[in-house]
Amino acid sequence: MNTAAEAQRGTVVIERSYRANIGDVWDLWTTKDGFESWWGPQGFRVEVSKLEARVGGALRYEMIADSPEMIAAMKQMGSPASHAVNSRFTELEPRQRLVITNLIDFIPGVTPYENRVAVDFKVQGAQVRMVVTFDAMHSDQMTQMQKEGFTSQLTKLDKRFGSAA
Amino acid sequence: MLMQLDAFQALADPTRRRIVETLLAGEQQVADVVAKAGIHQSGVSRHLRILHDSGFVSMRPDGQRRFYALQPAPFRELEGWLAPYRELWEARLDRFGAALEERGKQRLAKEAKEGKKRS
Repeated sequence: MNTAAEAQRGTVVIERSYRANIGDVWDLWTTKDGFESWWGPQGFRVEVSKLEARVGGALRYEMIADSPEMIAAMKQMGSPASHAVNSRFTELEPRQRLVITNLIDFIPGVTPYENRVAVDFKVQGAQVRMVVTFDAMHSDQMTQMQKEGFTSQLTKLDKRFGSAA
Repeated sequence: MLMQLDAFQALADPTRRRIVETLLAGEQQVADVVAKAGIHQSGVSRHLRILHDSGFVSMRPDGQRRFYALQPAPFRELEGWLAPYRELWEARLDRFGAALEERGKQRLAKEAKEGKKRS
């Protein structure tokens, strides 16, 4: 982890609307079987060992490479096929908002740092709108920017200019 | 890579971010930037120069006046750098949607079954 870009971090916002029940949406984030059913990422499955859906509650899970390609890739990189992730629900308002703060302490050569995922839920008729705001990567500088209220700034700018396509 | 670092450094300063936010409304001269951004006159030239040098802002002279406007290229660079993270989350939220649909079906099936038992 020594390139300039790797030392940086940005914040990205993604919005999705689902035709669904808010209870089901909320459960996918806050129950063991719900969380395990989708978190991934691609090529990985998760096994939740602890999930306490309250402010300050723990979210601990094992990320396990589960496709032959991913297992081979991890082996080639000299990384174990699974690693434990220690997270915490740092904000939680049932069916409205939650923030998961991940402690990133498993990257060799990088001082442990925190990485946040904030999710806002809104019921709109038969749909649930979900806004996910997440940190792309870390650096002291970007952490400082976030503290100063930079969150969602990139998205605003993105809207101003549209995509490059 | 160097471009991206410069872009982040240019925006790392809160005053420069306020200038950028102010220019989102369109091309403006320095006095308007100072007034609308609520920043101090001193140092504004330096901030505009840094934004200009890093490609965020263009300058158009018109007689004695100088007009500043945002340029899209560095914003697209930032966006391009963030794209892999966006893709990871888009894929994750696709799976979220699929899991949600499955969960909804299971809940409805369960409710129907329980409804039958009660009736």
